[in-house]
Formats: sequence, C-alpha cells, structure tokens
Amino acid sequence: MREAHPTDEWQMKSNLKDDVCYAQPKNLSDRLAIANDFTKRFNYPVPFGVDGMNNAANDAYAAWPERLYILDENGKIAYRGGMGPFNYNPAEVRSWLAARYGEVKHPETKPADSTAPKAQETPAAKPDAKSSIL
Amino acid sequence: MRGLLDFFRDFRVRPEVGKISMWVGISLGALLLVAFIVLSVMAGSPKDAVYMVRYALPHMHRGNLKVGDAAPDAKLFALNGTDTFHMRERASGKPLVLVFGSFT
Repeated sequence: MREAHPTDEWQMKSNLKDDVCYAQPKNLSDRLAIANDFTKRFNYPVPFGVDGMNNAANDAYAAWPERLYILDENGKIAYRGGMGPFNYNPAEVRSWLAARYGEVKHPETKPADSTAPKAQETPAAKPDAKSSIL
Repeated sequence: MRGLLDFFRDFRVRPEVGKISMWVGISLGALLLVAFIVLSVMAGSPKDAVYMVRYALPHMHRGNLKVGDAAPDAKLFALNGTDTFHMRERASGKPLVLVFGSFT
C-alpha cells in the first residue's frame, strides 16, 4: 500500500538509519519493487499481497499507515485493530487468537537484522495451522 | 445610504468587547501553540509535525468498518506483479489475519 515515510514526503531519521529509503511509488512496478525488497530483506514467511495503485484494499479497510484485522471463518470482521503506529498492537491479535482458537507454542525467533524496523512487530513465527495470514 | 455612512462614522468598539476579543485571540493562539507542541512531541520534531499534517493526516481515516461487518473484498497483486487474487479467496472457511503496512 501507499508508503508512510517515503523520501519525497515525510521521511524520518529512522529511514536513513535503517536504510529504508524509497520515493512514493508512482506506478505498480515501483510498489512491487519495494514489496519485493521487503520480503527479501526479512525473509518474510507469510503470504503477501500488494494493493493496486487504486488503493482499493487500503480504502476498504482504512488501513494506512498500518492496521491489523482478523476475519472469522464466515468472512466477517472479528477483530479490528487501531490505526498504527500508536494503536498497532500485534500482541493484542496474538491474545485474541489464543483466546479464540487456543494457545500455539512458537519456537523463539530472533530477527535476522537487529536494525530491521519492524522485524519484531511482524508475525515472525509461522502462522497458526488453524488460520492463515495474508 | 446616509444612515449607513453615519453608522460607520459613529461606530466604536466598546472597550469590554475589545478586551474579550483580545483574550479570545490570546486563548486561541495558546491552544494552537500547545497543539503544535504536542504534535511535535508525538511526531518527533517540529519539522515532523509539519510533515505529519501535510502528508499523513490526509491519508489517515478511521473508516466505518465494525466488528461483525462482512469483510470487504479487494483485488491484490502477487509479488510477481502479474498474478492477482481476491482477499475473499484466502478467507474461505478459516480465519484470516490481515496485516496492512508499508516498508517505510
């Protein structure tokens, strides 16, 4: 989806520190290139989708700059997280899933790159066998 | 017309009204200053506060989705850029976690 801190808009010091410097994509190729850089850099283990340049998913879910949802088995919204970054709360999602579907033990994982900006916020463990993460 | 001219010629702001206006202006200015300081602290610096207002606020939306609503569908692109899929395809019969975000 739309970049939150691109070089030509609101770039932050952390972008320079973490070497995450991209201009706001003007076309789908630019957006896909950033998405591919992300998945390669973090060996992102879960299924990944890229929003089109019409930002349809973002608009439908009011997702920007970051937000978490859980959809239930019937395709209904079961959990709606707050708007990131201040109310972006993966621990709340884990707790919600554990309460609903039972606790799943994950092996201790460490981020591949300690300077990675979101390595610990992303679901580092493999997805629950009962659910999938898009 | 003459009456209107007389009105403006004789118009004077009463002293108590002027005083109230001044304090309203000062209060509004103080509120704006406090809001800017709070925003600067939240964003990281005054420059970040300005950029936040300019670039972030226009794209932040609360949306109107609620728990229990049918999940909207949208077409997404696979990383190869040619394949596409619909979000609803991934949610058939099992729970699905959606993690929205960008790299930067």
